[in-house]
Amino acid sequence: MNKDEIAIYPGCSLETSSSHYLQSIKTVFGVLQIPFREIADWNCCGATSVKSVDQHLNLMLSHKNLALAEKQGIRELVVPCASCYFRLVGAEYELNNDEKLLEKLNNESDLPYKGQVKVRNILDFFVNVVGLDHISKYVKNPLNGLKVACYYGCLNTRVPIEKAFDTREYPMSMDEIVKALGGEVVDWSYKTDCCGASLFVTVNTIAEKLVGKVLKDAGLRGVDCVAVSCPMCQTNLDTKQDSIRKKYPVEYPLPVAFITQLMGVAFGCSPADLGFKKNFVPLGSIYKTRSLKNS
Amino acid sequence: METPELEKTKKELYSETSLCYQCGKCSAGCPVVEEMDVYPHIVIHLTSLGMEEKVFKTETPWICASCYACAVKCPNDIEIPNIMTRLKQMALERGLKPKRNDIYKFHKTFTDDILRRGKVHEFRIMIEYNLRLGKPFKNAMLGPKMLMKNKLHFTPPKAVKGFRNWIKQISPKD
Ligand code: SF4
Ligand code: SF4
Repeated sequence: MNKDEIAIYPGCSLETSSSHYLQSIKTVFGVLQIPFREIADWNCCGATSVKSVDQHLNLMLSHKNLALAEKQGIRELVVPCASCYFRLVGAEYELNNDEKLLEKLNNESDLPYKGQVKVRNILDFFVNVVGLDHISKYVKNPLNGLKVACYYGCLNTRVPIEKAFDTREYPMSMDEIVKALGGEVVDWSYKTDCCGASLFVTVNTIAEKLVGKVLKDAGLRGVDCVAVSCPMCQTNLDTKQDSIRKKYPVEYPLPVAFITQLMGVAFGCSPADLGFKKNFVPLGSIYKTRSLKNS
Repeated sequence: METPELEKTKKELYSETSLCYQCGKCSAGCPVVEEMDVYPHIVIHLTSLGMEEKVFKTETPWICASCYACAVKCPNDIEIPNIMTRLKQMALERGLKPKRNDIYKFHKTFTDDILRRGKVHEFRIMIEYNLRLGKPFKNAMLGPKMLMKNKLHFTPPKAVKGFRNWIKQISPKD
């Protein structure tokens, strides 16, 4: 890997509601000796909203991000948010496979795109660029059998098949990372089920129902926490657990950790450097569970 | 009047949806199917028959969470949520009032906010959406909690350099 060509596309939520994700990514990159760089002057990917209102603008927003990355010498654009990733990788695919479309969009803006940027999901990046061996080298405090349900949500794996980095219905990349950290992963049924984040604000009841199903299954498997790699999933699974647990049979409060927060724990980083304070269901119990299992 | 653009969209829609053989797998795997007034496989069927006018009268494309569970399962590789998206767009282009105006308003508020600075200001979107909806206290319980955890920010993000100029460059929608 050429470290100078790697940059993160953080996306809007990592700057605000999920800044703990960004913080833990920075911390973990530091440990793994990967220089942390952000693509400069990026704009919002459009999420699920713009495409519902204006498809042209939707594609142009991604075109601009890709063109900017290219101009800045970035060849590996690492994207943590599943929704941003889905948009950007979809655009990469569409533009690389449709010359006419690319030409048309290039003519519209003074930022032409030549097709040299590879959009990478952060899980793909950790497993296939950084490598599990490299990750295990830095594990100081193994998770000691912490029982984890890896939740991928819907959009991480449902990209055009040629672009897929993992299987679409039962992915394992995040599970592999947790195993490399010394954690125990469970087989469960809701790995790639939608959490309804796009309806989080509009039709709250649907989102709650979907989250209820995911958490219920995880709880029944007796896991210590749920691991996620998407800020939408994290917010949706974490922030409303109180009210969701009143309506749906979720056994106990389930901490919802970003995969990078778990990596940080195993690397011996402090909770403050991993943004634990921003999680609604406290992540501290992870330490407790581990020490119980240690004894 | 149908623009050439719209005609192309229609042709593409018909040819893609005509591959559907009504196995129903999409509807069977859809996580929000109970909330829809018409099943996804029926939407695809109606579209393939050129009866998109009927689809415009349903809530389904607006309820669709765009999760692609159906597309992954479809034996004919029909990208069902993309079709839902195009149907929504067609309805809007014809000036029809969205069947779920509340959901449309959210997407519109979100989009308008991006156009301001190139990045979204989540707090503003929540407030503005509630105002446009005429329900100032929707999700009100969540707001203070999110603010306390510093999850929502009062102040907007810094505008993206060159974004406003770029917006002017790219071909305007109408
Ligand atoms: S899964 Fe595909 S082929 Fe089957 S009904 Fe749905 S759209 Fe048609
Ligand atoms: S993309 Fe839409 S129609 Fe398809 S399964 Fe998801 S919510 Fe249902």
